[in-house]
Order: sequence, then structure tokens, then C-alpha cells
Amino acid sequence: MPNASDAASTPAAEQPSGAAPTPAAQPSHAALPSGAAPTPAAAQPSEAAPAPGAASSFRTPSNWLPLGAAALLIVAILVFPSLAPNPYILSTGVIVLNWAVLATAWNFVGGFTGYISLGHGALAGLGGYATGLLVAKADMPSFVALVVAALLVAALAIPIGFAALRVRGASFVIVSIALVLILLLVFQSWSSVTGGSRGLVVPRPFPGMLRPEHHRVFFFLYGGLLLLALLTWWLLDRSRFGMGLKAIREDEDKAESLGTPTFAYKLTVFVISAAFTALAGGLYALWFGDLDPVFQFSVLTGSYIVLMALLGGVRNLFGPLLGALVVGIALEYFKVEFGNSPLHLVTTGLLLGLVVMFMPDGVIPSLTALVQRLRNREASSIREVTAADLAEQRRREQEGVNS
Amino acid sequence: MTLRTEGLRKAFGGVVALDGADVEFLPGKVNALIGPNGSGKTTFFNCVTGMIKPDEGRIFFGERDLTGRAPHVVARAGVGRTFQLCRVFPRMTAVENVLAAVRPGGLLRGLRSAHRRSEIERAHNWLTRLGIEHLAEAEARNLSWGQQKLLELAGVLMGEPQTILLDEPAGGVNPALLDRIGTLVRELNSEGRTFVIVEHNMDLVMSISDHIVVFDRGRPIAAGPPERIRTDERVLGAYLGV
Amino acid sequence: MPSGALLFQSIILGLLLGGLYALLAAGLTLYFGIMRVVMIAHSAFLILAAYLAWWTHSRLGIDPLLSMVVTVPLFFGAGVLLQRGLLSRLRPATLTMMSVLITFAIALCIEGLLGYAFSGTQRRIQLGYGTASFDLFGARVAVVKLIAFGLATVSLAALYLLMKRTQFGWALRATIQHRDAARLVGIDTERTAGFGFGLGLATAAIGGTALALDTTIYPSLHWHWIGPLMAIIVVGGLGSVAGAAAAALLLGLAQSLLQIPMGATWAQTVFYVALFATLAVRPQGFFGGRLAQRF
Repeated sequence: MPNASDAASTPAAEQPSGAAPTPAAQPSHAALPSGAAPTPAAAQPSEAAPAPGAASSFRTPSNWLPLGAAALLIVAILVFPSLAPNPYILSTGVIVLNWAVLATAWNFVGGFTGYISLGHGALAGLGGYATGLLVAKADMPSFVALVVAALLVAALAIPIGFAALRVRGASFVIVSIALVLILLLVFQSWSSVTGGSRGLVVPRPFPGMLRPEHHRVFFFLYGGLLLLALLTWWLLDRSRFGMGLKAIREDEDKAESLGTPTFAYKLTVFVISAAFTALAGGLYALWFGDLDPVFQFSVLTGSYIVLMALLGGVRNLFGPLLGALVVGIALEYFKVEFGNSPLHLVTTGLLLGLVVMFMPDGVIPSLTALVQRLRNREASSIREVTAADLAEQRRREQEGVNS
Repeated sequence: MTLRTEGLRKAFGGVVALDGADVEFLPGKVNALIGPNGSGKTTFFNCVTGMIKPDEGRIFFGERDLTGRAPHVVARAGVGRTFQLCRVFPRMTAVENVLAAVRPGGLLRGLRSAHRRSEIERAHNWLTRLGIEHLAEAEARNLSWGQQKLLELAGVLMGEPQTILLDEPAGGVNPALLDRIGTLVRELNSEGRTFVIVEHNMDLVMSISDHIVVFDRGRPIAAGPPERIRTDERVLGAYLGV
Repeated sequence: MPSGALLFQSIILGLLLGGLYALLAAGLTLYFGIMRVVMIAHSAFLILAAYLAWWTHSRLGIDPLLSMVVTVPLFFGAGVLLQRGLLSRLRPATLTMMSVLITFAIALCIEGLLGYAFSGTQRRIQLGYGTASFDLFGARVAVVKLIAFGLATVSLAALYLLMKRTQFGWALRATIQHRDAARLVGIDTERTAGFGFGLGLATAAIGGTALALDTTIYPSLHWHWIGPLMAIIVVGGLGSVAGAAAAALLLGLAQSLLQIPMGATWAQTVFYVALFATLAVRPQGFFGGRLAQRF
């Protein structure tokens, strides 16, 4: 046993943050082939004990960090329209905020439960068309139509989620992609209602408003929606409900066996996510004023959303927002520089592949981990005495166990 | 409350894993479920906890019929379980692992903070009780195997189950921890919790259980106190293949 | 009421189409059986093979069927590389989700590269025997459709024999059914899994060539194939080759018959309706599929 416990406690002594006592010696048991005998590691609880204080003090910044970031975000949203040098930049801002809301809304499902949806673009398109049709055909006031459309999409998400979430993983992805394909088919073919490939013109909510002013209003509307989505995500993250969702992400069977009604939880959060996505899509319809099925129900929209959320990090409140800033701006830039070339697809595919292969936790977490590792290297040299102490303590304990 | 099954049957393709198992566990006692490999013990656990649906038969907990109910319903009814290859939430901290077992009642209560002081205190109490309090803020994947086993048990206990099913608690555990687990089960049992333990380690089974059910080929072939099981010929036959 | 001849013609065409679906779905089922991977790029490779067949014919002037001499081994190698180089490196805990993203990313890359190399223009092979057809009990059947069906049937039969009769097929089935047990009896499951992926992708090469014979192709066509194919493997019960084949024939037939009253576009929705209905009513699929219960 001394071998195992030595290997186990050495890294811990170097890592005062309280994490990672045994990454190398103890393979994560998810990686163990089932049926193989697990490594019987030393389970003496007092070994490799990091100071509890160090751990909890490390976690405190996470309490005020979101608040600071939120304040910064609010200021940025308020200031940006006055700083934007021309209406084009302002409209780019609207587009990026649209992406940010979509990615944050996606993260209700992707981040909490770990279920990856490639079909959220279709939910946004559905929200857009529902809003547009309610305004154009039912003469509803624009913003009433927006809310009604979001409720309709949320209601539709219940049967979709029912089919997609009853069984694990694979079916969900299949349904999410199928959703995009079938809606594209329907909205292109059903031209008497949707306008088909000719598109659907959505009457403006503020007739007579000048273009820059129009962009400014929608920038603020999107900003408000983004803040609402972030606030909801944050509240869920802290709630018992959110705890259950995260448990599903980690191990669904286990969560279920601890009493979490996993199916109801997944379905609820999917409906919430669909509602926010539809709101973003509806705002887009009101802002842009023209819908085309090919763009509204494009598989690409969904993949951009996933790329943004993964790039920024799905476990972080602001991860998808950050990813949306990077990818959204890059998309606009490339559209201006190179136009619409098939190489967009290649670039998106390559980026998505790289993120999945090398940074599945996202860029923010990877960078944080890197910084922490650098910081720990410094810290370990300061704490050498402590490490020696720990080693001593360990030896004594071992003798206690063996005798 | 008594956990019992009537005529439980489950077949996977042509393989009959459970063949009409009638089992009754003694409430308030430490029950053990033993039997050779492939005798249907884990399938039995999975059926009882709702992880798989039995083809035939019924499962009762007290007066309540739990047959075919979802695992979370069984857990909420008061039957908690651990897994053979112990399962924790790898990327949650130890204390979050325990907190994840808190059940929100209804949607509105579900929106309450998961970090309420009283519950955090309860979680820490369980961690202290199991001797892993100092690891409360460490991510579960970084704990050693034995620590993960204790953490899994802490999570189950947080749900306040009346009956606890342990699937091979001694698997891959060193002798010192084995003693601790034995003592813990005894202590927790003396506080009124019923235990059902699937275990291969006969020393542990004989030393802590009050009542032993022996499985062979998907059904119980003997039941009784350890001293009787130890000398039962059918049991010896099942194990030695005579 | 459509005439009897039209009905008969539709049934024949539906079965011919179903054969091609069955071959392609067999590939998807193989991947899923081996690694629980939903291989989104399967149909992108299908279109890639179709483009290679078209290119062989229009640039080199060779019969498109001959392109298989190159594409089948090439795709087999690509499949092995894909499994060994990318998919087997993903974390097991998140494999299903992340593998979808990886294969999705590959599909995007293939579509983009096809668009870049051959532009988005629709392409069609002009064959000498392209318009030839013959009469079968009053139904007109194009020769190329029959060739495509023949290719699919022969490949499926070869796949079946390979799985049932050869040492490799035995190892592959063992790997699919119980990976750990297979490893315990000395099967190199990693290598077997790689070859299994190669085999799956080889079906895309054959299917793509068959497709190119009588279909107009364009880079984004693969989305029209992956949807139906995914529906087929779900209806058939994920992981069951026989189930997938049965579902393929059934849905191919249904699509062909529905084209009479609904037209080609709306008839395609039958796949999605079947997909949603299956998941809502019987998620484990209608034709067995032991694996499906958990996925």
C-alpha cells in the first residue's frame, strides 16, 4: 500500500488549491472498463489532506466575479451604440448580441445537462416565422406577437422534447438535426402560408423610424433579453433544480437513483431554452424584416451556436457570450472580407473539430487551468516546507496503519 | 417498512437472470444478499431500484407497490442505493455531490438556492461522519477509490433513505477502510436504517449481517441468520458447484 | 385513385430505393454498434463518392462504376483513420455527444471542400445507358436504377457473409456485442473497431457511386440523405443491421408511394414522421435493437 499512497499524495502536496490529489495514479473510474477490477487505492481519508481553508478561500472570487462581469456587460451595452462610428457597426452589434442570446439560450440545455443540440437554429427560425406570421397575417402588435410566438414555440418544444429526451444522448442529437431538416422542408414547400423561397416580409414595429435609430432600439432590446437570459441561467445554476441538471450531465443514472426526476428536469430546461431561443429569433424577424427558410432553417446556425458555446465554455455563465463575441465578430469580418464562400464551412468545421478534440471544456476553462497551473508552480516553491511537513505526517500515519 | 418482492422474473434475450425471485428483507436489520457470480444479485438490485423493468413479478416497499416505477420514484419512496463500480459526479466537488441528493419538492421549491445554509451544514455533517470532510471542496474525480466509495454513501445518506442497498461495498477497498465500512453500516443500522448488502467478502457479510439471502440461478435458495447459512448444504453446493 | 400500373411502378421504384437506403443504413448501424457513434458525416462521404464518380466520368471519360476501384479502398482507409485518429481519442464519458460534433464538423468540411473544388453547380452524369430502361410487367424501370440496386444488394450480401462467416466478422460482432468480453478472449478490439469503421465508410463509397448514376448531385445534398438515414436506424432500432434493412425497405416504399398523392418534397417528411413517432411510442425501435434501450 505505501506505493499507492505515495503516488497519491505527492501531487496533492504540490497543489494547495485542494484539487487533484491523484490524477495520474487513480484513473477516473469512468475510464475503467466495466468489469475490470478497480485499482485498490489507499482510502485512508486523512491522507493527502489539503488545508480546507485554502480550498474555500480560493472559491470566494467566484462570488463577486459574475457581478463585476455583469456590471461591465451592462455598461458595455449602454455605451456601445453611442460609440459605434456608423450604422453598419451598430447593426453588427445587433447581430452579435443575437448570437450571444442564442448561445446563452442553447447553454440552458448544453451547459446544464450536457445534451448537445444542433437544432437550436430551427427553434430560432420557428420563433422568427411565428412572430412574422402573427404580425403579417394576424395583425397582432409586434411585441405581443413576439411573446405569443415564444410561448407557441415553448409549447411545441414539449412534444419535441418528449420524443428526444426519453432515451439517452444519441436520439436527442438525431432529433435536433431532424428538426432543422424537416422544418426547412415544410417552410420551403408550404409557400401559401410561409411565402416559401420567396421569403416572408415582416412589417416593421416602428414604421417611420430611421435606420440608425432602429438599430439602436433593437440593440437595447437584445441587450435586455441577453441580461434576462443570463440572470435566469445564473438563478438556475444556484438552484436545486440546477444542481439536479448538473448531476444529469455528470451521470444520469446516478442522478436518477438519488431521486432526481431526470426526464422532467431535462424536458423543463429544454422548454425554457426553446423559449429564449424563440424570443431571439422573433426579435430578429422584427429587426431584419425579411425571412428566408434557407437561412432560418440552416444547419449552419445550429453549428455556429454550438461552436460559440463550446469555445467560450459551457460550464460558465459568460462562456457562450464570450464565444458569441469571438465567433460572431469573426463571421461578420469574413463575410465582408471574403463574401460567402464555401470555405466558411471548412473553417467552421475545422474550428469545431479542434475545440472538441483539444478544448472540450472551452477556451476560458482551458486558460484558467493554465493560469492556475502557472500560479501553482510558484506556490509550490513557497510551500516547500509544508510539503515536507505533509510527507512527514504521511509517514507517521502509514506507520499507524501498518502497526 | 419491509422491502419484498414476489415472483420477480427478468430475462435478457435467452438468458434468465431472475427466475421468479420471492425475497423478503427484515426491516431494521442488516440484510445480505450473496450468491455465486451470475446468480442474479445485481439484476435483482437493478429491478428493485427501477433501473430495469422486470418481466414479471411485483416489488413492495411496505404497502407501496414500486413495480416498474422510475428509479427516482423508488429513491423518493425511501430506498437508496450505491453502485457496484461506485459512481460519483466526477466534476462536482464532494460537498456538491452530497447536495445533489437533496430533493426539491415541486418546481417553485426547486428554484430555491441549492446552497442553503441548513443543507450545506447537513452535507458537511455527513462528510464529517464518513471521515472525508477535509475533502469537501475537492472535485470528486480527484478522490481515491475508497474516498469515492465513502462519498457515494454520503450522497445516498443525504437523501434520508429508510432502506439502503449497497452493491459490493467492499470491492477494491483496503482492509482498514473495510473495517470502517463495517462499523459504519452497524452504526447507521442501529439508528434505524435497514441495509441490504450484495457482497462477495464473506468475512464482512458474516460479521455484520443479521439475515442472509442466498441467490442461485436467479432465485433465493436459502435465507436465515449467518450461523445457519454458514452450514447450509444447499449454499455450499451452489458455491462449490456440487 | 392512381392507376394500377402507376402503383406497381412506385412499388418497384420504392424497393429499388430502399435497397440503397439499406446499404447506407448498414454503415451507420455498424458505427453505432461499434462505438455508439452517430456518424453525421456518413452521407457527406456518400456525396463525396458520388462527386468522385462524376469526376472520373466527366474528366477522365471512364465509366463511373470503375471509380469504385479507387474510392472503396480509399474510404476504407479513411474510416480506419477516422476511428483511430479522432473518435477513439475522445473521452468515453462524453463520447456520444462529442463524436456527433466531430463527424458533423467533418461533414461541414467535406461539403465546403466540394463546394470549393466543384462549385455549387448541380452535376449529373450523362451515361450512354443513362436513359435506357426496360419493361417489367408494365412498369418502366431505368437500367441505372437496377444497377444501383444490384450494387446495394451485392454489397449487403457481401457484408452479411463477412460478418457471419469470417474470422474478422466474428471478432467484429464480438466487439459490438460485448467489448470487454471480446478483449478478454484475445480480440484486438481497437483494431477491429477501426476496420469496422473502414467497412462502414466503404458502404458510403459504393452507395455514392450508385447514387451518382441517376441523381443530380450538389455539395449540400448530403443533408437530404442523413435525415432519412438517421430516421431509418432509429426506426429499425439503433444497432440492429437487420432492423435497419427492414426499416429502409419499408420507408423507401412508403416514400415512393406517398410521392403519388403528395409530391416528392412532402413525401420526404415520412421519414421524420416515422422518426418522431418511433421515439415517442417505442424508443427502442420496431425491429429489435438491444442497444437502443439505453441510447
